[in-house]
Amino acid sequence: MTRRRQVRKLGNAVALGLSLLATLIGLACLGAILWTLVARGISGLSVQLFTQMTPPPGGTGGLLNAIYGSLVMSVLGMFIGAPIGILAGTYLAEYGRDARLSSVIRFVNDVLLSAPSIIVGLFVYEVLVVRMGHFSAIAGAVALAIIAIPVMVRTTEDMLRLVPQGMKDASTALGAYPWRTITSIVYPAARSGIVTGLLLAVARVSGETAPLLFTALNNQFWSKDLNAPMANLPVVIFQFALSPYKDWQQLAWSGALLITLAILLLSVIARLIISALPGGRSQ
Amino acid sequence: MSTPGDGIPVQDTAFVSEQKRRAAEGGLNLKPSSRMPAPGSPEPRRAVGAAPAARIEDAVFSCRDVSVLYADKPGLSNVSIDIARQQVLAVIGPSGCGKSTFLRCLNRMNDTIAGARVTGSILLEGRDILGKEQDVAQLRAQVGMVFQKPNPFPKSIFENVAYGPRIHGLARGSADLDDIVCASLRRAGLWNEVKDRLSRPGTSLSGGQQQRLCIARTIAVQPEVILMDEPCSALDPVATARIEDLIDELRASYTIVIVTHSMQQAARVSQRTAYFHLGELIEVGETNRVFTNPRQKLTEDYISGRFG
Repeated sequence: MTRRRQVRKLGNAVALGLSLLATLIGLACLGAILWTLVARGISGLSVQLFTQMTPPPGGTGGLLNAIYGSLVMSVLGMFIGAPIGILAGTYLAEYGRDARLSSVIRFVNDVLLSAPSIIVGLFVYEVLVVRMGHFSAIAGAVALAIIAIPVMVRTTEDMLRLVPQGMKDASTALGAYPWRTITSIVYPAARSGIVTGLLLAVARVSGETAPLLFTALNNQFWSKDLNAPMANLPVVIFQFALSPYKDWQQLAWSGALLITLAILLLSVIARLIISALPGGRSQ
Repeated sequence: MSTPGDGIPVQDTAFVSEQKRRAAEGGLNLKPSSRMPAPGSPEPRRAVGAAPAARIEDAVFSCRDVSVLYADKPGLSNVSIDIARQQVLAVIGPSGCGKSTFLRCLNRMNDTIAGARVTGSILLEGRDILGKEQDVAQLRAQVGMVFQKPNPFPKSIFENVAYGPRIHGLARGSADLDDIVCASLRRAGLWNEVKDRLSRPGTSLSGGQQQRLCIARTIAVQPEVILMDEPCSALDPVATARIEDLIDELRASYTIVIVTHSMQQAARVSQRTAYFHLGELIEVGETNRVFTNPRQKLTEDYISGRFG
């Protein structure tokens, strides 16, 4: 009796130990990555990082053009992707709840969600870059939009489904057509959820390298021309980190730290909004 | 007991309804053609003479042979019933008997359920509401609905009530809208409790207040009929009593159909009662009569608490 209990206790302790170990390994990896990033990147953090252009090898400079390019293309990408993603998510959640078409869309969307981003880059390269004859910020933004869309579709559908059916029924029973119910009742009720989805999509998009490599490429100089190649943090990091020049490598570390901090900040904000959700939404 | 129309193959619908009328007047049964017998039950309960289609002069709603199929499973079978003006009709019956399904036919809320099909005819003031030409938004403005769980919108108290008038463009200007909101809240007996906090969220109210807010929201569209789907089942006894009093007051201006699980409530608030069982209307009549002298065995069994 006691023996059996001891064996069971031992089994429990082993299972607990193993899962704890796994957790620690995961956390240690993350910690090591962050530590390396901070240790290597922090020394390069300076005002000139935000005020100067990417330098030629051996010169001094910053990342201003890359930061600007990343911001512009992420924002532009979201401007293209968010409306499509939100409307498609609305269709899935409100109009085509159980229809066959919806399950096909949902499946395709999941495929797109997990598609390697380099394929998106190649696709936009074929469709836009080749036809336009040159790399451009617009092509970059389109590639980012294609990555953002499935994220937005998914989060929008999930968030709209959280809105209690009773609330939608009440609006319908008052004689509102579906579109009125969606815009006047469902969107306001799911607003913070949709904003969270937007932030997460931005976070996802702003770290993407592969799709930009084939579309926006890079630019050593300050450029506001959307129809020309544009610098951006991920590609700059990619190129500078692979270079043999010490100062370029330092800039790559600093850029990596910047981008990580930005994504971390976005995720934290998104989490804060999510944790505030139940109070914001009435059940 | 045999009925006049029994066994005679009739094609003439006018003849059939004449038969029905006579059967109803005589308190006799016209055996309805049960194309969809409820699953698992043979057919014994139609043996005794029922008069489900008790006719009423100047009815607001008249339903004839209304059936509902949910993805080919019957939800309601051949229900024929008239609903009288400015009265409360209570719809009672055990769970799954089709009472909510019936209620949702009257404002076509069944349209929102995928795979639901409604057949038969439902006349509202003589106009068939099941037809394609019927604008459902306009129908629902005429036939309001209050749900089981209070479900205020995540908006202010004022905006909750103003929502319906806004979508139907009932108010001429904001002063007019203020008047409509105020009048609706008064009628729902909520005005004194909320007049100082109209901008607070509707969800800040108590459950009973929320339900009265939902009633005010329904009234604001100026409906003719108000459907209530177990409006008190989520409320405590005090809040329930208030709603019941309110229903009694509203009867002066509106026709009310209330689905309820509580027979006491049906007896308290209604003038007529309809008893549903397994998707069929078993009996309808004056509430007093149905509760004291049910004509059907099934009704009697349910009322005396033998099942349900």
